Amino acid sequence: MADSASPAASRLPGAGILLAAQIRYQIRLLLSSGRAVAVGIGLPVILLVASKGSAKGSHPNVAGYAVFGVTITAWTSYGVRLVAAREAGVLKRWRATPLPRWCYFLGAITATALVAVMAGAVTVAAAVVFYGTHFDDGPGTRLTQSAALAILVALVVAAFAWAATATALTSVISTIDAAFPILILTYFPVIIVSGVLFTINEPHWLSTLATYLPAQPLIDAVIRAVQHRPGAPFLPARDMAVLASWAVGGLLAAVLLFRWEPHRPAQRRAARMGP
Amino acid sequence: MTAVAVEHLTKRYGHFAAVDDISFEVRGGQLVAVLGPNGAGKTTTLEMLEGFIAPTSGTVRVLGTDPYRGSRAWRARIGLVLQSTSLDAELTVRDTLSLFARLYPAPRPVREALELAGLTDDADARVGVLSGGQRRRVDLAVGIIGRPDVLFLDEPTTGLDPEARRRTWAGVENLTTTGTTVLLTTHYADEADHLADRVMVLSGGRITADTTPRELRARGGPATIRYPLPDRATPASLPATLAAHVDGDGRTLVIRTPDLTAPLRDLADWASQHCLDLSGLEVGPPSLEEAYLAAIGEPLTPEVSVHGR
Repeated sequence: MADSASPAASRLPGAGILLAAQIRYQIRLLLSSGRAVAVGIGLPVILLVASKGSAKGSHPNVAGYAVFGVTITAWTSYGVRLVAAREAGVLKRWRATPLPRWCYFLGAITATALVAVMAGAVTVAAAVVFYGTHFDDGPGTRLTQSAALAILVALVVAAFAWAATATALTSVISTIDAAFPILILTYFPVIIVSGVLFTINEPHWLSTLATYLPAQPLIDAVIRAVQHRPGAPFLPARDMAVLASWAVGGLLAAVLLFRWEPHRPAQRRAARMGP
Repeated sequence: MTAVAVEHLTKRYGHFAAVDDISFEVRGGQLVAVLGPNGAGKTTTLEMLEGFIAPTSGTVRVLGTDPYRGSRAWRARIGLVLQSTSLDAELTVRDTLSLFARLYPAPRPVREALELAGLTDDADARVGVLSGGQRRRVDLAVGIIGRPDVLFLDEPTTGLDPEARRRTWAGVENLTTTGTTVLLTTHYADEADHLADRVMVLSGGRITADTTPRELRARGGPATIRYPLPDRATPASLPATLAAHVDGDGRTLVIRTPDLTAPLRDLADWASQHCLDLSGLEVGPPSLEEAYLAAIGEPLTPEVSVHGR
């Protein structure tokens, strides 16, 4: 057995290399479970295809379905996975290694954002296949290269915002059984009031509230990008500011609340308390 | 070299002391078993040594460092196996080891870790499809991939079948040849006996014995001779030295003695004179199990409290 304890060999690997490895690892886990792919890509594409027959004369809700794919991946699929990993002791195991703690954290959020954006991009690509590049409301709307790039930027910022906020929320979910209902109950109200899946008649205060949540500004940004008029910015500043605020706020909350250890079974301490 | 130094270590949850003023040292290269029943404070002690929880009072040093404030460089020198399996089910054994190997400055080759843990044949299986025993050995392989100076194993064989336990033991034994300091917790006396150079018995958060398996066994009392008397043998015919040891039903001879020679000679002579068969005879060494039960059952007294200082 070679003893390679030379000074060069005893240097710890650089953070950049470790972060890249973490991102690859997390992407692999998200894709290999199948759940994220089925929910984040399969569901929006099915909705898109299903609406083709029923949407005669009107335009399909491409922006909404793409946003649905991105957000459900970055919120629900990722959140459930994170709680499962923590409660199984996987996070605790990582914490005991020389991996810098922020590296695990940032690797998981970044990987989720990338997979979520991929889910959104597949939905947009499917829409192009089914409807061509003129697929949204309004005259002269078109998915140009610049618009696609602008949409990509908006999706990345939004996916990061959803994943970071989900990371913070999962810290207070104590069991894997509780994870799914909590993540769904915090998800659907937001996307429904934001008009992600369909338009609803809602009171003014609710539609105003939706503009401060991280779904409606994303739809707005995507629609603005395809409806772009010469001279106007590709991305609406206010919408992007809201999404960026969620990303920064979510990340701060995640850093403050993040929990590595499983919530311990109460019986362990109770058993010791004794008389 | 001292690998682990613990002084007056205490961990309280409210008024309850999970670990109550324990002190010990572990020299580099030793394999120490911390033996105790559930709730004795084994895992709490280990988690303080691993840096997961901070002590209420007292000090812990592992490789000269306070584990709770251990740096990346310190963590690179520590290996551990948690009480329950803690790996992603989707990856293969080989990929899991490669993933963890990248974190360390001078990792073991994956092939070597597979060999040490006895997993060469399972290298390409997904962790999720392995049996409990195989998964524990993957935990072990991940624990040693960074070539740790100190390895902590928390109940590495609890819940495994006898064959899986033997294979895990073989993995741990392989490590002792590499000079790794190993501290393991267990509630099996035979595991401590089989693996460890030294046994610390923890009970109610306190160390009630700290010695070698051989010495601990000696505390379990003397060796035992057990012989069911054949039907045609009458207790009255036994010589006086043996007759006093016939048990309550009058049909079994049970002799507890530090010296086996004299009673065995007397028994053989008597059987020979009466043409009796000795095939039911059992001669047992002092049991570590009994010594262990005595150590956890007895109150802490100076006679049984041997702190390793």
